Amino acid sequence: MKNLWIEFIGGIVTVKAKGKGIERFINTLTRNGIHIWQVKRHGVEAVIFKIKLKDVNQIRNAVRNSDCKIEFLQRTGFPFLFKRLLKSFGFVLGATAFIIVILVLSNMVWGIEIKGANPATEYKIRKELTEMGVKRGKLQFFIDNVEGIQRKLSDKIEEITWVGVELKGTTYHLQVVEKNDPKKPEYLSPRNLVAKKKAVIVYMFVEEGQPVVSVNDHVKPGQLLVSGIIGKEGNIETLPAKGEIYGETWYKTDVTLPLKKTFQVFNGNEKRKHYIKIGNVEILVWGFGKVKYKEFETESNEKKINFLKWELPISYVDKTIRESEQETLIYDNEQAFEVAKTLARNKIKSGLSENDKIKGEKVLHKSVDNDKVTISIHFQIIENIAEAQPIVQGDTE
Amino acid sequence: MAKKWGHFVRKWITKNMELPQDVMMDLPRITMIGQIHIYIENHRGLIAFSDKELRLLLKQGQLLIKGNAFVIKTILPEEILLEGKIDQVTYINE
Repeated sequence: MKNLWIEFIGGIVTVKAKGKGIERFINTLTRNGIHIWQVKRHGVEAVIFKIKLKDVNQIRNAVRNSDCKIEFLQRTGFPFLFKRLLKSFGFVLGATAFIIVILVLSNMVWGIEIKGANPATEYKIRKELTEMGVKRGKLQFFIDNVEGIQRKLSDKIEEITWVGVELKGTTYHLQVVEKNDPKKPEYLSPRNLVAKKKAVIVYMFVEEGQPVVSVNDHVKPGQLLVSGIIGKEGNIETLPAKGEIYGETWYKTDVTLPLKKTFQVFNGNEKRKHYIKIGNVEILVWGFGKVKYKEFETESNEKKINFLKWELPISYVDKTIRESEQETLIYDNEQAFEVAKTLARNKIKSGLSENDKIKGEKVLHKSVDNDKVTISIHFQIIENIAEAQPIVQGDTE
Repeated sequence: MAKKWGHFVRKWITKNMELPQDVMMDLPRITMIGQIHIYIENHRGLIAFSDKELRLLLKQGQLLIKGNAFVIKTILPEEILLEGKIDQVTYINE
C-alpha cells in the first residue's frame, strides 16, 4: 500500500459518484491515468472514492462523457489546510507577533542593580554603563558579555577595586567593592617597633613611642627601634609605638635571559564566522570559506536567547579566528644586558611597597654563555624596616 | 484455426522455457492474504462492484469475488487491490 503522505501534501478530494454504469466510469478514470483509491459502495447507485486534487479537472471531463453525476464531499490535505490558515490570517499573525514580542522583551535589559557602592560611585557606574549601552530597554544581544562589562568598569572607574557583574534573567546585578572603604580605627595593643632586616637607618619618623636608635645607625634584624615603654622609673607606661623608620637595605638579584626568544603574536589577519547554535549543533550562517591560517586562535562568543525566564536551546555564536605567527627576537649582548637590568629592577620593585625607593644599583657580574646572559645586580633600597612586636605584659617589669 | 495454433505455440514455449505463465499468456495473477486482501493483476476492467460482490473482466472470461464489506483500496488500469471479507473467488467462462 502506498504511503498517502505525498497525496496529502498535494491535496485529497473525496468524490461521490451517482448514476448507472459507475463501473464503466471507474474504468475510464483508471485508463485516463487517474489514481483512485478507497472505493466504497454507498447505497445501490452511489460509490464514494478518493482522488488527488490535481485530477479534479480531468474527472470533470470524464463525467461529461458518462451517465454519472459527481459530487465532491470532503477536501483534505495541505492546500486546504493552507487555505484555512489564510482565512485565519489575522490570528496567525497575532500569535507570531505575540511570540516575537515576548522573545524580544525576554532579551532586553530590564533593570540594573548596584550593590555596595556609595551614591557618587553608583552614579558614575550608571553613567559608564549607559555609555557602554547597558541601559534599560536595550537588547542584551548587542551588549558586551558579562566579563567584558566587568573588565571595562574596573578599568574606567578608579574608585572601585572590584566589580562583579551577574546577569540574572533580564536584570544585571553589580556587586561593587570600593577602594576607599572608610578605615576602621584599628585598636593597637602596646608594642615596640623592631627592625625587619639588616639596614642603615636613613630617616625616622616616630609618631608615638621612644626612639632607641638614631639616623646612620646600623641595625640587625630584630633590634629594637622604637620602644613602646615610656616614662621614668616608677611611672612606666606602655603604649603602641607608631612610626616609620626608613633604612637602606641591600639586595642582590640574579637574572638570566636567553638571547633568543620566540613568542606568538597576532599578525592582524582575522576572520569572523557567525553561527546559530541549536542544541549542540552549530549552523554556519555567515562567514563562509575555509580558514587558511597555519596557526590561529579562536575566540568564540555565545549569546543565549531567552524566552520568558527560560533559556532557549538556540543561541547565536560569533567566532573570531585570528592568525598568529611565531616571532623570534634576537638580542645582541648589549641589548640583552639592558633588558636583563630592567627585568631585575622590576623584580625588585614588585617586592617593595609604594613609598620605597631604589637608591642605587651596581652590576656585580655579567656573563654570556649557552646563548644566555646572566647578570647579577646589587641594589640599594630605601624602605621601611619597622615591624611591630607586641609587648607582653610580664616583660615590662 | 490460426488463433488456436498461436495459443498452442505459446503454451509450448512457456512449458519448455520455464517462463512465467502470467506474462506469456496474459493470465491474471491473484494474490490473497488470508480472507482480508485480494490483489489481482492483469484484469481488463470492472464490470460490477458492490460491497458484497466484485466482478472483473479478464482476457478470457470473468472473475467473480464474493464476500462482504468490500472496499477497493487501489485501482489501476491493470491492477486492483480489494479489501474486505472474501468468501469465494470464482472463474466464469463463457
